[in-house]
Amino acid sequence: MSGIVIKDASRRFGSVQAVDHVDLTVEGGEFFTLLGPSGCGKTTLLRMIAGFCELDSGEILFGDTRIDRLSAHVRNIGMVFQNYAVFPNLTVAGNVAYGLMARRVPADESARRVEEALALVQLSGFGERKPHQLSGGQLQRVAIARALVIRPQVLLFDEPLSNLDARLRVSMRGEIRALQKSLGITAIYVTHDQEEAMSVSDRIALMNAGKLEQVGVPADIYRKPASRFAAEFMGTTNLLEARQLGLAAPVWVSLRPEALRFADEAPADWPRLQGIVARVELLGPLTRIDVTLGSGTVIRMATLDAPHRAVAVGDAVTLAYEHARLTVVP
Amino acid sequence: MIGHQQRLPLTIAALGLLFLGVFLVWPLVNVFGASVLDSEGQSFTLANYVKMLGRPFYRAAIVNTLGIGAAATVITTVLAVPLAFSLARLPIPGKAAILALAAMPLVLPSFVSAYAIVLLLGNSGLLTVWLKGIGLDIGSIYGASGIVLVYTLTLYPYVLLPTVAAFKAVDVSMEEAAQNLGSSPARTVRTVILPIVLPAILAGALLVFIETLENFGVPFVLAEDLPIFAVEAFKLFIGETAPNPASAGVLATLLILTTVLVLLIQRHFLSSRRFATNARQTPPILKVGPGVRIVATVYCWTIVLLALVPFFAIVVLSFLEFRGPVLHGRFSLDNFATLFARDMRPLANTLMFASAAALCTGLIGVPIGYVVTRWRTGVATLLDVVATLPFAVAGTVLAIGFVVSFNAGPVILTGGPLILVLAYTVRKIPFAVRSAGAIVHQIDPSLEEASISLGRSPLQTFLRIVVPLMLGGIVSGVVLTWVTVASELSATVVLYSGPWRTMTVVMFQALEGGGAGIATAAASTLIVVTLIPVALLYRLVRRYELGS
Ligand SMILES: Nc1ncnc2c1ncn2[C@@H]1O[C@H](COP(=O)(O)OP(=O)(O)OP(=O)(O)O)[C@@H](O)[C@H]1O
Ligand SMILES: [Mg+2]
Repeated sequence: MSGIVIKDASRRFGSVQAVDHVDLTVEGGEFFTLLGPSGCGKTTLLRMIAGFCELDSGEILFGDTRIDRLSAHVRNIGMVFQNYAVFPNLTVAGNVAYGLMARRVPADESARRVEEALALVQLSGFGERKPHQLSGGQLQRVAIARALVIRPQVLLFDEPLSNLDARLRVSMRGEIRALQKSLGITAIYVTHDQEEAMSVSDRIALMNAGKLEQVGVPADIYRKPASRFAAEFMGTTNLLEARQLGLAAPVWVSLRPEALRFADEAPADWPRLQGIVARVELLGPLTRIDVTLGSGTVIRMATLDAPHRAVAVGDAVTLAYEHARLTVVP
Repeated sequence: MIGHQQRLPLTIAALGLLFLGVFLVWPLVNVFGASVLDSEGQSFTLANYVKMLGRPFYRAAIVNTLGIGAAATVITTVLAVPLAFSLARLPIPGKAAILALAAMPLVLPSFVSAYAIVLLLGNSGLLTVWLKGIGLDIGSIYGASGIVLVYTLTLYPYVLLPTVAAFKAVDVSMEEAAQNLGSSPARTVRTVILPIVLPAILAGALLVFIETLENFGVPFVLAEDLPIFAVEAFKLFIGETAPNPASAGVLATLLILTTVLVLLIQRHFLSSRRFATNARQTPPILKVGPGVRIVATVYCWTIVLLALVPFFAIVVLSFLEFRGPVLHGRFSLDNFATLFARDMRPLANTLMFASAAALCTGLIGVPIGYVVTRWRTGVATLLDVVATLPFAVAGTVLAIGFVVSFNAGPVILTGGPLILVLAYTVRKIPFAVRSAGAIVHQIDPSLEEASISLGRSPLQTFLRIVVPLMLGGIVSGVVLTWVTVASELSATVVLYSGPWRTMTVVMFQALEGGGAGIATAAASTLIVVTLIPVALLYRLVRRYELGS
C-alpha cells in the first residue's frame, strides 16, 4: 500500500491562490481528510491528485513514482463525487463495470468483481436497475462500488455526503470508514464539516486560503489547535486574551465551552470566574449558556442537559474551568 | 508544455479552425479582396466602392433591403408577442397543435411561400382574378408589400418560439411580489413581465432582421424591378465577365458588414440586460372572461393557419392541370410526370447532398459545440466566434466566395458536387454548434471526470459518455439540418453545375422559364421531402418522452 507525497504544490486561478505551497504526506492505508471552509482549496488539491487540475509548481508522488505529469485516465485513482456522477445511460452494473471494461478485464472476471463490489456496498441484486430508479444514498453507493472495483491506488472523496440528509450522512460515513479499513486502501476525503472529519479520519489537514493550517490526528487538532483559525474552525470556543481570565501572560488562549463547569460541580482546584447569565439555549442533549464576566467579557459554556439545575438569564453564577484545557494559540 | 487535459480540446479546436479557415475565412477574404482590387485583380483600389455607391440603383438596393427588413421585423414582432403571451398564459384550446404548426414555417422553404403568393395574388393569380370578378382590386402584390407579407408569414416563429419560452420562464413570485406591492395586472405585465421577456423578443426580432437581409429566394420571386441586396449581388456575379468580380464583391462585403453590425448591436444590447430568472414552476394560466378567450383563440389559430395556407395551396395546385401558366381546374398528375420524366437526378441529388451535409455538419459542429461550451480559453472563444460567423454571411455571398476561391489554385471544387456539400456544411455549422452547446451545458462535467478517473481517455470519454447522452439532441439537430439543406436556394443557385442540379434549382429554373406546372410539382416535392423527416422526428421525440 503506497502512500502519497505532495511536494510544494501550488495553483493560482487569476488573482486567487487556490493552493499555496502545500507539502503533505499521506501514509498507505490511511484515511486522510482535507478540511476547511468553502473556497480554501480542498477541491483543487484533490483534483490535482486526480489529474483534473494542473500544478503551477511542485510535484505529486505515489510511493516513489511521480504522477503529476500523467494523464488523469492512467493514474488508477478511484474518485467519488459530491453529485455521485453515476452515468445515467448505463445500468448500475454497467456503471460498476465501466472501469473494468476500460482495463479490458475479461467478461467473466468482470461480472464476478462487479457482483463483489455491489455486495460490498450492500447493493446485491440492484445490478439491472437504471440510476433514476435509485435513491441518493444508493447512488452514492454505486459511485463508491464503481470506484472500488478497479482496485485503485487511492480513493478520493469530494464531499460525498453533502447531498444526503443528516441521518443518512451519519450512517454512510461510518460505512465508508469501515469499508476503507477492511480493504486497507488509502483514502483522501474532502469535507467542510468538522464533525464528519473528526468521525472518519485517521488524520486531518486543516486548510485555510490555500495553505495547510495544521495537520494531525483529530484529537490533537481539536484539543491543541495551532492557531486561532484552527481553534475556531474546529467547533465553538472562547478565544480570550489571557488577562481576561485574570492571567498575567500577554497571550491569546482558547477555552472550549465544555471545559467550563458550574463551581459547585467542579473540583476545588479549578480557577473560578464570577458572572451573570446572559443567555440560555437548550439544544437537547446540550445546554449552551453565555455568561458575562465582571470585565464585560462574554464567555460561552456548555453542559449536558440537567433538569435539576435551573439557570435563568440574570442569575449570578460562579464558573470554574480546567486549567489543563486552556490552550495558548499564537 | 501542453497540459494533458488540453490535448483533446486543442486538437478539436485546431481541426475546427482549419476547416473553417479554409472553407469560410478564406472565401470571405477573397470576396473582400475582390471588392478592393481593380478589374484585373492586380492593384488595390477603392474605386469599386465609389462606383457602386455612386449609382442610385445600388443605393436604392441598400435602402430597400434595410427598409423591408425593418418593416418585416416590426410586423412579425407586433404579431408574435401577443401570440406568445396567449400561448404561454391564456386558456387556448389546442395549444400543442398550435405550437407544432407554428414551428413548421421554420423548416419549409420561404421562396415556396412566395411563389404561392404569386400564384394566388399575383397579376393573374387565382384570388386576384376571382376578386376582380366581384369588383375588388387588391393592387399589386409585387415589390415591397409582397416581400414583407411573405417574410411575416414565414419568419414570425423566430420571435414566437423564444418568447413563449421566456413568458413561461418568468418566476411567478416576481408577479406575486409586484401585485403584493399594489401593482395592477396590466401594470405588472408592463413593468415586470415585459422587461424580463424583452431580451428573448429582441433576440428573435434580430434573427428575423438578419434572415431578411440574407434571403435570396423571396425577393427573387417577388421583387420584380425593385433592387434588393442579395439578388443584385447574385445577378452581378453571374453577369460579371471580368476576371475579378469586383462589383459583386462590393455588394457582398457591404452585406456582410451590415449583418455583422446588426449582430454586434444585438450582442451589446443583450449583454447589458440579461435578467436571470429561475422559475420553479411554469406560471399559471390566467383566468380570463369568455370574450378574451375567444378573441385570443381566433387570433392564434388565424395566424398559424394563415402562414401555412400558401404551402397548402401549392400542394393543391400541383395536382391541377396547367397549360403554360394558365390553370385548369382538373385533377392531374401531369405536373409530377413532367417533372420526373425529364430527370430523377435532381431529387436524388437533393437527398444525397442533404444527407452528406447533415452528417458533416453533425461531425464537425458537435465536437466544436462541446469544446466551446466546456473550455473557456482564448482558443475556445476564437473558435466560437469563427463558428458563429457563417450566421452573418448570406448564402449568396458565401457561394461567391467559394467560386472565387476554389475555381483555380491548389483546391479546385467548382463543377463538382463537393462544393455544394461544403457550402451547406459551413452554413449550418453555427446552428449545430449552438444546439450541441446547449445540450453539453446540461451534462454534468463530473460525469466526464468520473469516466476519465475510471481509465477512459478524454476522447473515449467523449465518445462513450458525452455522445450517448447528447444523442437525442444530435439526432434532432441532424434532421433539422437535413431539412433546411434540402430546401437551400441561395448558395445552390450560384454553385450548382451540370448534372448536380437540386430540386430547388429545378424550381428556380421553372420560375424563370414560366413552367408553373413543374414549379408547383417541384415545390410540393420539396414540402413533402422536408415534412416527412420532421414528422418522423416529432413522433420519435414523443415516443421517447412518453417512454422515459
Ligand atoms: N476552475 C477555476 N477557475 C477559477 N477559479 C477557481 C477554479 N477552481 C477553483 N477556483 C477558485 O479557487 C479557490 C479554491 O477553490 P476550491 O474549489 O478548491 O475550494 P473548496 O475548498 O473545495 O471549496 P468548497 O468547500 O466550496 O467546495 C476558490 O476561490 C475558487 O473560486
Ligand atoms: Mg469543493
